Amino acid sequence: MAILEEPIKEVLELKNYINGEWVESKSDHILDIVNPATQKTIAKVPMSTRDEVNAAIKAAREAFPDWRRTTPLARVRCLFRLKELLEENFEELSRVQTMEHGKTIDESRGETRRGIEMVEVATGIPSLMMGYNLEDIASGIDEYLIYQPLGAFCHIAPFNFPFMVPLWFSPFALATGNTFVVKPSPRDPISQIKLTELIDEAGFPPGVYNLVNGGAEAASILIEHPDISGVTFVGTTNIGKDVVYKKCGETGKRSIVQASAKNFLTVMPDANIEATIPALLTSFFGNTGQRCLSGANLIIVGKDDAFYNRVLNAFVDAASRIRVGYGLDESIQMGPMQSVDGVQRVIGYIEKGIKEGAKLTLDGRKPQITGDYPDTCFLNATVFEDVTPDMTICEEEIFGPVASITRVEDLDEAIKITNASKYGNAASIFTSSGKAAREFQYRIECGNVGINIGIVAPMAFFPFSGMKDSFLGVLHGQGKDAIRFFTESKVVIQRWF
Amino acid sequence: MELNTASEVISFAKRLEESGAKLYEDLAERYTKDSETLLSFSRENNKNVVQIERVYYGVITDALEGGFAFKINPDEYMLETRLDEKAKYSDALNQAVEMEEKIIRFYSDAAEQSQSLLADVPRAFKMVARKRDDRKLKLVLLLHKEG
Repeated sequence: MAILEEPIKEVLELKNYINGEWVESKSDHILDIVNPATQKTIAKVPMSTRDEVNAAIKAAREAFPDWRRTTPLARVRCLFRLKELLEENFEELSRVQTMEHGKTIDESRGETRRGIEMVEVATGIPSLMMGYNLEDIASGIDEYLIYQPLGAFCHIAPFNFPFMVPLWFSPFALATGNTFVVKPSPRDPISQIKLTELIDEAGFPPGVYNLVNGGAEAASILIEHPDISGVTFVGTTNIGKDVVYKKCGETGKRSIVQASAKNFLTVMPDANIEATIPALLTSFFGNTGQRCLSGANLIIVGKDDAFYNRVLNAFVDAASRIRVGYGLDESIQMGPMQSVDGVQRVIGYIEKGIKEGAKLTLDGRKPQITGDYPDTCFLNATVFEDVTPDMTICEEEIFGPVASITRVEDLDEAIKITNASKYGNAASIFTSSGKAAREFQYRIECGNVGINIGIVAPMAFFPFSGMKDSFLGVLHGQGKDAIRFFTESKVVIQRWF
Repeated sequence: MELNTASEVISFAKRLEESGAKLYEDLAERYTKDSETLLSFSRENNKNVVQIERVYYGVITDALEGGFAFKINPDEYMLETRLDEKAKYSDALNQAVEMEEKIIRFYSDAAEQSQSLLADVPRAFKMVARKRDDRKLKLVLLLHKEG
């Protein structure tokens, strides 16, 4: 199979987008953006100065009054134009994601599609943002509720979905009449630069949407700034809880903090194994395990050794044959990790798993790669057996292509183990029993539940739920939750003399 | 090498359609009495590509099993699209029928393998396979006409 053409031909010098202009940063702190598969530098990104971050916030704040007064219909027309531009540039946007993140081209296209769906849903704002009313709450007195935008919001983006995750929030913020500042991940900011170029072309007024490059310092400035009304964050629980959620509480901002995960997938003895295996592979090894909805722990239920061995052998055999390489090669099923740090972290967990007594059934540390690429960021799939709930690899988020298998006797035990996790992002059951599925759905303490689904990714018109240490806040991203998050409820009671 | 990912299967389908279209264009040029019908097959091939790509790009998401949905051996579906210089029209039509049978088999196998894994994609494959069944009948009728 041929390698698809790379859309980035020369090293890009990334700029900030402030008040409708592309502005070169004055920072002398510049990071290289490296294609994790080829190890070639594809861009240079500045870590913006405090003044530059403040300028982006100021632009957003000053654009707010006019944008808020712009009719919802006019606001969504900008989003309709953006949607068309996104479709026109679909393939380039997808290939850029593969180049800067490493994911396969199918995964990148999936990410692009998900991002576009957010824009599509947000174009429904003229209906979705309607309030409600009741006449005659007392004789001759009516009461009604209006949803109003709040001001300037920001998003601090993770590296694992460089294009899509900011779109969980920004279309809803803009459609409801707020303005926005996005800070892409400094590891893979190019997708957001490309998206912002299209936002610029779509005709949003200056200052309504701003992009500022940077790392932790830029994030802190955004979170603490009094002119930011709310913060959306997707990242680790440690930073989300101790920094973002805490600071937002201190400064009176609303926030959505979507955080770490450790997702359990339960396979019941009546599961359709043939159909389940591709779902498990996608869940555990898709996006090279770098997503908060990835499967991490596989629980195989039942006393029957033959069933256990059938699932185990089919899963391990398929995992061992996953084709690893550069994601722009269409035949590749798993790309590299996004960074060397990520590789080291995963290897550290594998070593910990061995030390704590788990059985290493498939070792992905010495990768077999399709194509002639440096092995710097590559890993193959790893599978552990005999994993017990007290082991580190069962408890902590590895964020890489590692599956930990635990065997239990019944569904009750599987649910108890799953619920013992401090995280509650996603959990799935594979079964042909409606009764078992209903029991699982009812008792499981997770925000996103899959029944015969490996990756429980809610569509744009549903909230991206999450519980326990996987989510901090009240309202989630996407769907009606996002609309409520980006608006304040104003109640009016009126009487005319 | 086995095709496993959605992206490579879609690309493979595109290549099949394009080389099939080329065969019909060559046939139409050489055997002018049925050129309109043969060219309509070529145009339909191009429409199939658009249809399949539209469905794929419309539904592909990270939640689908795009990387693990197929086990297609491309060698089983390789097409012979070169026309023998001395081929009679009936030989050429037989070649086209054989080609269509292979393509139908490809779409049917791909649809079966990705059933319930790739949302609307297998349905699009089945639709193209059904259209091709109709086309095969038309080709057989042309063959009968030819005697």
